[in-house]
Amino acid sequence: MVGWEGTIVLDKATAARLDDRIERSALEDELAFEQIVRRHQGMVFSLAYHYLRDRSLAEELAQEVFLNLHQNLNAIKSPEHLTFWLRKVTSHRCIDQSRRQKVRPQVSLEDVPEPAATAKENDLFLSEMLRRVVDTLPEKARMVVILRYQEDLDPMEIAKVMDMPLNTVKSHLRRSLSMLRDKLSRTLGEVAV
Amino acid sequence: MSRLDDELRIAFRREPPPADFLTRVLERAALQPEPRPSWWQRLAMLLGTPRLRWVAIGVTALLLLAVSAVQYGRLRGAVTEDRPRVAEVPPHSEAGERDAASPAVDGSQDGGARSISTPRELLQRHRASTSQVKAPAHDDRQRVTIAEARAAKEKLMLALYIASATLNDAERAVHDDSPKP
Repeated sequence: MVGWEGTIVLDKATAARLDDRIERSALEDELAFEQIVRRHQGMVFSLAYHYLRDRSLAEELAQEVFLNLHQNLNAIKSPEHLTFWLRKVTSHRCIDQSRRQKVRPQVSLEDVPEPAATAKENDLFLSEMLRRVVDTLPEKARMVVILRYQEDLDPMEIAKVMDMPLNTVKSHLRRSLSMLRDKLSRTLGEVAV
Repeated sequence: MSRLDDELRIAFRREPPPADFLTRVLERAALQPEPRPSWWQRLAMLLGTPRLRWVAIGVTALLLLAVSAVQYGRLRGAVTEDRPRVAEVPPHSEAGERDAASPAVDGSQDGGARSISTPRELLQRHRASTSQVKAPAHDDRQRVTIAEARAAKEKLMLALYIASATLNDAERAVHDDSPKP
């Protein structure tokens, strides 16, 4: 029976060690999660904000994305996978949100105000005007443009993030840029754009 | 890169989130229920306790043993059932076949040699020959198979004999050719 008792003692010790390890692992997980949020909050919030153009909605959506990540932390395989996952979930949620609540500003291209001064003097104004013009794009095209210029992704990466054929991404970009160029040429009267 | 690209990059620069964003996310994450583990994680957790792990291993081993014993019993039963059937087959069935195939010829020969057979003997012989003719086709097939097997065995033995003789010759030739010390 000594062996049996010995086994019990060993079991308790092992169980204690296991508990300790589990606690430490949970703590490490929490710390890791905090680091992840700290590091990627700018990206997730900006994607949502540029797309939805509403700070409170963007914050709510970004929080939900991180909470979703907290639930699926075990499925993340690498830092690259994490960034990809966050971009993908955020962009899909933004599109869903836009479709559900119709938060997209119903501004037609013609309603975008013309700048009163030159672009060089009014960089902020120009940026705002560009954002408004992008707001008039269809849902997916808008996200393509945001991913391209906020995250500096190439069309292939955008296609992966958005589960879209590469040619569709390219055509979205081409059409959107041509439209933006037209608008800017008209408003600024510059050929250089 | 055009100016439009630059302007778009400026327009879509990353925006800083609200200052308390991180705190709020962490608070909400703390309130969230623990993520539900998948079935294999739950199984791993269940078997995490060492004693339970040994119990599981023991049960699995017992099950395997029981299944193996049942299979072995079945296999052995099948072998013992087959053995008497093989034993029933006469060792020299070729002769038997010949007898069964041409009873008339044998009868005529026997008739010549034993012209003084009693009617009772003749009747018995006739009954024996008819019973052999009526033997099931299964037995005939078995006999044919056994005969074929014997022929194959003889061929194999012959082949082995030839091979061994050739090898002996070759060995002898090698020994003869090798320089003697």
